Amino acid sequence: MKYIGLVLKSVRRSRRRTALTTLSVAIAVFLFASLQAVLDGFDAVAAASSSTRVVTIRSTSMIFPMPSSHVETIRSTPGVQEATWANWFGGIYKDPKNFFGQFAIDPESYLRMYPEVILTPEDKKAFMEDRTGCIVGDGLAKKYSWSLGDRIVIQPGIPIYGSQDFAFTIRGIYKAGSSAVDNQSMMFHWKYADERSSQKGLVGWIVAQVADPDRAAQVAIAIDQRFANSPYETKTDTEKAFSASFGKMLGNLNVLLGSVALAVVITTLFVAGNTMAMAVRERTTEIAVMRTLGFPAATIFALVVGEGLVVAVLGGVIGSVLARLVINAEFLGMAGGFIPAFSVGNRNVAIGLGLSALIGILAAMLPAVMASRLKVVDALRRVA
Amino acid sequence: MALIELREVTKSYRRDAIEIPVLDHLSITVGEGDFLGLMGPSGSGKSTLLNLLAGIDRPTRGSVRIGDTVISSLSERALAAWRARHVGFIFQLYNLIPVLTAFENVELPLLLTNLSKAQRRDHVLTALGIVGLADREKHYPRQLSGGQEQRVAIARAIVTDPTLLLADEPTGDLDAKSAGEVLTLLQRLNQEFKKTIVMVTHDPHAAERATHLLHLEKGTLVERHEPIDVEQMPAVGLGAGRTS
Repeated sequence: MKYIGLVLKSVRRSRRRTALTTLSVAIAVFLFASLQAVLDGFDAVAAASSSTRVVTIRSTSMIFPMPSSHVETIRSTPGVQEATWANWFGGIYKDPKNFFGQFAIDPESYLRMYPEVILTPEDKKAFMEDRTGCIVGDGLAKKYSWSLGDRIVIQPGIPIYGSQDFAFTIRGIYKAGSSAVDNQSMMFHWKYADERSSQKGLVGWIVAQVADPDRAAQVAIAIDQRFANSPYETKTDTEKAFSASFGKMLGNLNVLLGSVALAVVITTLFVAGNTMAMAVRERTTEIAVMRTLGFPAATIFALVVGEGLVVAVLGGVIGSVLARLVINAEFLGMAGGFIPAFSVGNRNVAIGLGLSALIGILAAMLPAVMASRLKVVDALRRVA
Repeated sequence: MALIELREVTKSYRRDAIEIPVLDHLSITVGEGDFLGLMGPSGSGKSTLLNLLAGIDRPTRGSVRIGDTVISSLSERALAAWRARHVGFIFQLYNLIPVLTAFENVELPLLLTNLSKAQRRDHVLTALGIVGLADREKHYPRQLSGGQEQRVAIARAIVTDPTLLLADEPTGDLDAKSAGEVLTLLQRLNQEFKKTIVMVTHDPHAAERATHLLHLEKGTLVERHEPIDVEQMPAVGLGAGRTS
């Protein structure tokens, strides 16, 4: 502890340089925590997904629909208790930049199978009874200042629904009971969309409730076998895998975002390392003097590493706190549809701080080795 | 027994393939309580000799003994610990740490001891008092004159009460008045506090303050003055004088 004063004095020696290095670490940690938050968001959705639900899509791709008759076939598959379905609507609210998920659902079966969509009994009844009614998540309602009874107009985004606008009345504002459901989406009657569709009776995906979660894999295989060799072959998987496939539609996010984060961290490591090396080089004489006074090489090493650690962790704290305050899907207006709710949690803050400490230690390692191995006589002669 | 004993010390440096001899089979002894002046032209090897005594350099051949310890055979780690305990070093350019106050600069060697914060404070204030700068403890080096900086450096050198004080041209960067004050202080440390001092200098006036003189040329001893009669030396300030 008696050396902490020395470390802090060294850190404050060149305030501008310390500030810039701290800032570069802060930016790296901020970006890392932000990107990690997005990945965690997808993971959270997958983790919160039900183990008793399996999702069936077309074997070719989930963007291709299948006949609604598949629902009854699935319902009659042994091990299946219940089934519901939904379509991706892809409409535009006023402007394409106002993106959020819109799903055409079968209200009765869907709300029964998704208790995570939490509605008051009154709102649920009102929604069921209004063919052009819709329900919206509380996050979405807050974003657009919607309230019950408001009329909203959505322009169809998929050609089969024609070019005429769809008008909806908000009959319910739901809360999301788990990460499996986001509060930034809108749901409405599948029949309303289907009656104006140029291809009637098609559904995007079917969700089946299985009686025994341990048999979910066998039930999934059984479902797909029932449609084998038909024009509409299917691919059934657990809801967790289905949630993950949404993320995959945006590319291999883990690799993409991970690479960006890694590149930022490595760049910052080099910047911080160069700064530390410069700081140590400027202090060659001082280090030689300290060695002459009897400071062991190990203590000199620890002092330099300590300096790097203080600067980097300070940056880490700034970056983590900033990310914690700024990064959440609702605040940034990025949630809805494929993008799950995300925010920087305690775990990410801890990882960010750990990462900054690692940057500090690694950046200071080489200069610290140089400083501790300094030839005292040569260093003193250089100045004298 | 002599405090310092060099036996057949040879030191040479390598520059590419060429070996440059600096000290050549040098054997000297310095008694405890001596104030030895090392003189000689540039390149004569006097600073190298001082570095060998400080344990920051090693002889190519021969041995260096200080007190009971043959420092030329110590490991790097042991040598650092030995320096911290036994050597106070005074540099020509003071070499204070610019971001530390006078107090903190003097406290620096004490960080290597097990003294408590209060004990360290007592030691530092005593050392600063000896060099007459107790009232400048909160000043940074840039706020001090060259002479004051060197006195802080002397306080740093004596704060651990080392066995040996080594000074490498301690007045080389000072005006005559400041140089006189620093030399008087060294003389007082030798006479009043019985410190053994080895001082490298070019300045004959500085050399006059020493009790013994060695003259080096091309790494060998060419003259030995034994001992200087300090009674004949100019009067010194700070109330110092010969105490024995």
